[in-house]
Amino acid sequence: MTGWRLFFLAAIVLAAAPFGLPIFAMTLLTEALILGLLAMSLDLMVGYTRLISFGHAAAYGLGAYASGYLLLHTALPLPVAVLAAALLAGVVAIGVAWVCTMATGVSFSMLTLAFAQLLYAVAFKWTSVTGASDGLAGIPRHPGPFGITVFQTKNGYYYLVLVCLLGAYVFCRALVSSPFGAVLRGIRENEAKTLSLGYNTRLYKIAVVALSFALGGLAGALYSPFAGFANTELLFWLFSGQVLIMVIVGGQGTLIGPILGAAFFMLLEHVLSAYTESWALFFGLIFIGFVMFAPQGIWGLLTSRRPKNARI
Amino acid sequence: MTKTHYVSRRTMLKSAVAGAAAASLPAVPRFANAAEPIKIGMPVALTGPLGGIGAQMRTACEFWAKQVNAKGGLLGRPVELIIEDTAGNPATTVRKAQEMVERNGVRLITCIVASNEALATVPKLAEWDTIFVSGDNGDGRLTGESLVPNFFRPNTSGPMGTRAVALWLRDSPMKNFYGIGMDYAWGHNSMDVFEAEAKRAGKNFLGAVFSPTGTKDFATYIAKIRQSGAEGVYLVLAGDDNNAFLSQAKQYRLSDKIQLLTEQVDEMGLNATGDAAIGMIGGSRYPASLDNPVNKAFVAAWQADYKRLPQMFEGDQYQSCMVLQAGIEKAGSIEAAKLRTALEGLALDTVKGHIVMRACDHQAEQPGFIVKVVKREGMEHPMPEVIATYAADRVTPPCNKMVYDN
Repeated sequence: MTGWRLFFLAAIVLAAAPFGLPIFAMTLLTEALILGLLAMSLDLMVGYTRLISFGHAAAYGLGAYASGYLLLHTALPLPVAVLAAALLAGVVAIGVAWVCTMATGVSFSMLTLAFAQLLYAVAFKWTSVTGASDGLAGIPRHPGPFGITVFQTKNGYYYLVLVCLLGAYVFCRALVSSPFGAVLRGIRENEAKTLSLGYNTRLYKIAVVALSFALGGLAGALYSPFAGFANTELLFWLFSGQVLIMVIVGGQGTLIGPILGAAFFMLLEHVLSAYTESWALFFGLIFIGFVMFAPQGIWGLLTSRRPKNARI
Repeated sequence: MTKTHYVSRRTMLKSAVAGAAAASLPAVPRFANAAEPIKIGMPVALTGPLGGIGAQMRTACEFWAKQVNAKGGLLGRPVELIIEDTAGNPATTVRKAQEMVERNGVRLITCIVASNEALATVPKLAEWDTIFVSGDNGDGRLTGESLVPNFFRPNTSGPMGTRAVALWLRDSPMKNFYGIGMDYAWGHNSMDVFEAEAKRAGKNFLGAVFSPTGTKDFATYIAKIRQSGAEGVYLVLAGDDNNAFLSQAKQYRLSDKIQLLTEQVDEMGLNATGDAAIGMIGGSRYPASLDNPVNKAFVAAWQADYKRLPQMFEGDQYQSCMVLQAGIEKAGSIEAAKLRTALEGLALDTVKGHIVMRACDHQAEQPGFIVKVVKREGMEHPMPEVIATYAADRVTPPCNKMVYDN
């Protein structure tokens, strides 16, 4: 399978990155991988189930605040705090999805947006837990009882992020190839038909939202100890929109595309903002270009010679 | 607008080699250093609601760097400013600062505008081995519970600004006060101090409202202030928010009924709001009219360059630059450990007179000023005029504290 060969090649290249890249490039790469994980988690909803979420920042922010809070107020070792935060995001998502899946289409999207803005407002007001507009600063990376200090170094943390991303990718790939994934695609193509085949599509949708949020929460939970910091910006709707852009520009319904989309978005923001303060304008133009001329995104462009791989 | 300086890996390598050579061969350090500028990182909010303040701070830094470089630089090395826009977002600030440190080899930071940006940055300073000299960050916690060894605050803090107003308040006949502040760290912090001070002066504090940063319509807030029945309202607003509030307050004739008080009177706001601010009384971190030789020289040089008086944040940031300069000259180095020792207890004459960088909490002891906005004949804009000055020992809080004992 060429797909898995490519996966191992990418894994080896990424694992070797710290030996060849300067320190600041590693900072950027780590952040790009975290955002890639977030975008990939959204792809489960957008690309495979056609559940367009305008509130995926909620997953990221929840994870970021939860791991930040745990690390600031408990002595939990870093990996435990990160996993607990991801779990929390997934559990919260069950309730959210239960409400949001009462609606479909645009109404679903609006409900996700409303939920994310609700969390944003909570984060802004609940000073004792979230630090309000100051956010949580100085988030440590506890070594825990076994004295695992490897994650306190820059490259050690990079490997933690890399392992999480690769693990999440394998998990998602297996998920979308499974019978469960087939039902998700059924919902994407024709929900009424899938329902008439005897599948409780709402339960499937709730499950995929919960999984997507748990992985998005994992990304957020990795971000806050990485940046040492979490603030309300992470929950803002603007960020939800950016993640959606990453998915669409990268290529929805491909898992790998959104990861590339996230890296592309970050890199472009970084390069453009060095030249102009209105970088968002240029990014908007690029986004329009993708939607109009390359709706299958970056990954679609890369694989367009082999149409059998296209998954749109 | 934004300048970016790329340093190639080769240049980095060269400077590292040069640095190593300088360290190992004490006979040639001046020569080796001469090629390498002192880089000062400025992650400054140039866009967004705080952009106006950021622009003032940047102008002051550029003015200072130009002066220093014209005199042959610092320690014989030219000063290079590395300026990046943060849009006032703490996450961006940390990222840009990290980039300056890791990519450009910056070891000195100043010019961060918002307190929440500063609060997000300070925990990283130890890891970066970098000194951050605040130019305007007001939040009391920065020299209190959030103090880190590599942070220094030469500027007037929020609590100090409020303290000056409170001291003035004690002599005022007004009894009842209300407050409006921006809904972020600085707003809440300053309001808490004002409330404590008002109560201590035997006055009634009737309550306060907080508006989100970027509020354009203050009608509901103004209604609340009117309904409060207070004689004076304390404003903790800055930038565009302050301008929007004052313009609207004028429309509603708020100042006819209630004396407007503020933590700080900022010329930028006065220029933007025209006559709306006349009669307002407040603190000033730096009024350009201060009568001391350092300030006179500064104002004269400034006027020659910009054809106008320096504004409040320009003066305050310039003082921070002077402190940084004196520290580097005293330490003979920009190494964090040496510079930290040099800055602790540093005393010098600046644009605000004689100030001392306290070793205990890295806050500069300095006087506080109360000004009233007036418009005299021949003035294009209303201007702040000093009506009271309070000595450093009355204005500066006890070490690591945000509230005062008396």
